[in-house]
Amino acid sequence: MRLTLARAALIRHRARTLLAVLGVAVAAAMLLDMVMLATGMRESFRQLLVSRGFDIRLAPKGTLPFDTDATIPSVSAITSVLRSNPDVREISPVLGAAMHIQAEGRDISGSVLGIDPSVQGDYELLSGKDVSDPDAIVVNDHLLNQLRARMGDTLNVATGYDPQTRTYSGQRKLVLSGRVRFIYGAAEQSSGAVRRETLEAMEGGARRDRASLFMIRVRSGADPDRVRDWIETYIPTVSAISIATAIAQVDQRLSYFRQLAVILGAVSLFVGFLLVTTLMTVSVNERTGEIAVMRAIGISREHIVEQIVVEGVAISVAGAVLGLGLGLVTARYLNAILSAFPGLPTAIDFFLFQPQAAWSALGLLIISGIGAGIYPAWRAASLPISESLRREAIA
Amino acid sequence: MHLDQLQSISGYGDRVDRFAVATRSSANVSRLLKEINDVAFGFRAYRSRDIAVETSRTFQVVSRFHRAIGVITIVASSLFLLCIMVLKVEERRRDIAALRLMGISRWSIVKSIIIEAALVAVLGSALGVLLGLIGSLIVNWHYQALYHTPLEFSIVTPEIVGMSVLLSLVLGAAAGVLASLRLVRTPPLVLLGR
Repeated sequence: MRLTLARAALIRHRARTLLAVLGVAVAAAMLLDMVMLATGMRESFRQLLVSRGFDIRLAPKGTLPFDTDATIPSVSAITSVLRSNPDVREISPVLGAAMHIQAEGRDISGSVLGIDPSVQGDYELLSGKDVSDPDAIVVNDHLLNQLRARMGDTLNVATGYDPQTRTYSGQRKLVLSGRVRFIYGAAEQSSGAVRRETLEAMEGGARRDRASLFMIRVRSGADPDRVRDWIETYIPTVSAISIATAIAQVDQRLSYFRQLAVILGAVSLFVGFLLVTTLMTVSVNERTGEIAVMRAIGISREHIVEQIVVEGVAISVAGAVLGLGLGLVTARYLNAILSAFPGLPTAIDFFLFQPQAAWSALGLLIISGIGAGIYPAWRAASLPISESLRREAIA
Repeated sequence: MHLDQLQSISGYGDRVDRFAVATRSSANVSRLLKEINDVAFGFRAYRSRDIAVETSRTFQVVSRFHRAIGVITIVASSLFLLCIMVLKVEERRRDIAALRLMGISRWSIVKSIIIEAALVAVLGSALGVLLGLIGSLIVNWHYQALYHTPLEFSIVTPEIVGMSVLLSLVLGAAAGVLASLRLVRTPPLVLLGR
């Protein structure tokens, strides 16, 4: 009966109910987006880090991976030390550098990674062959489009540019063997990869036996944080970064967006709450006579309170369901804007849909719907019956 | 510290990372750039504006994001305002019916509701501007401390205040029109429930 009466009250003022549902839907969409922003960025970054199964990254002491041009010396010695730990399963040293490719009279610049193809975790091969040959290079689509080259073409690649003398430390003809997608690369970044020894040779003596980054897989069942502590104790030239540490650092750098999400989410929830409260208050004021009649024929206060709370919750739930779809559309739009951040990996999503986020938003809205109905319901249930009936009769 | 001291400590010699060049107001910057770059060896001259555009891409993205959030907020506020006005007007069905029965024209009633809606919008926007100023102070205080910078993260300019008041006035008036038109088209006796 409560549901029937609540439904009848909402249907009686269709336009008003529709507007309230739309208002709550926009607030719900915003709330969902903000919950997605607050939790999705971290989850997306975590997924990106674990996607290739590497648990620890080693960067030059005091830096983050590829944050500076600094490199780690003595790759062979560090590799030997790492291998002495039985919990370390796989080691992938990576050397990064800037490269220039002469193509059709143009100088195309980009970045190049020197990797070991058997253990690399930086890219996935889309077509062609990996860099099994010392004279092979694989590139991403952005660079391939700039070069207007085909598989098997020979490229004139140079590294180690010195702006003072306008010379390169090394130049080499490399054969384009494959098309790849760099997992941590930005969309507008022109990137390629060659074998590490090839890049070391091109970079000259200064970067021999050096790496920009080590990626480490630990044995299944081993604690990555213990391995990280062990590395920092035995290899003082590096900063060991576990996935938890990396997420904490990214959290700190992008704290602005998380805080913005919390503030805007709270404002959206408050606006939705205010809208439902106003609507229910006006609705109760209009129905004082009706409520007084119900009380006069013996309907309990609890029944009236429940009916009005149900009306508030129904508006909130309808708005939340509509807001879910709206929120997903706006999240895509907002994500497209933030994806243009310079240097941001394409795989990072600021707004990542997680069912838990949707449930959280829905839960918050239902709680606010119940809260919004309580004050008008309490007022309705406290109306003096005879006075309300008399006022209604006079009106 | 002084440049020569840093050069001495770092062993950098007579070298610098960059030069900043101020030109006379009448100088032809494009010609100057060309002349420098023609004779430059091991460096290149750029216009400050071009460097600013390149390095401020992060700010451009953040700014676009803020604008999008602003649009969503305006849509939400419009719906909220419309809803409140519909409720306020519907609450006075009987008053409006009485006015209509007394011979007051539809247009006069619509005008009075528009004025009322505009007043609510102006009062609301005055309160909003006050809240915005306080919010702006809190935002600047928080983020300047967080990022250890004197940069201002939130600036409330007279243009922004003017645009906000104007927008809320237009939205309020539009909400008033939409809300009142529904009622003035309904016969007064129907409004009275007869």
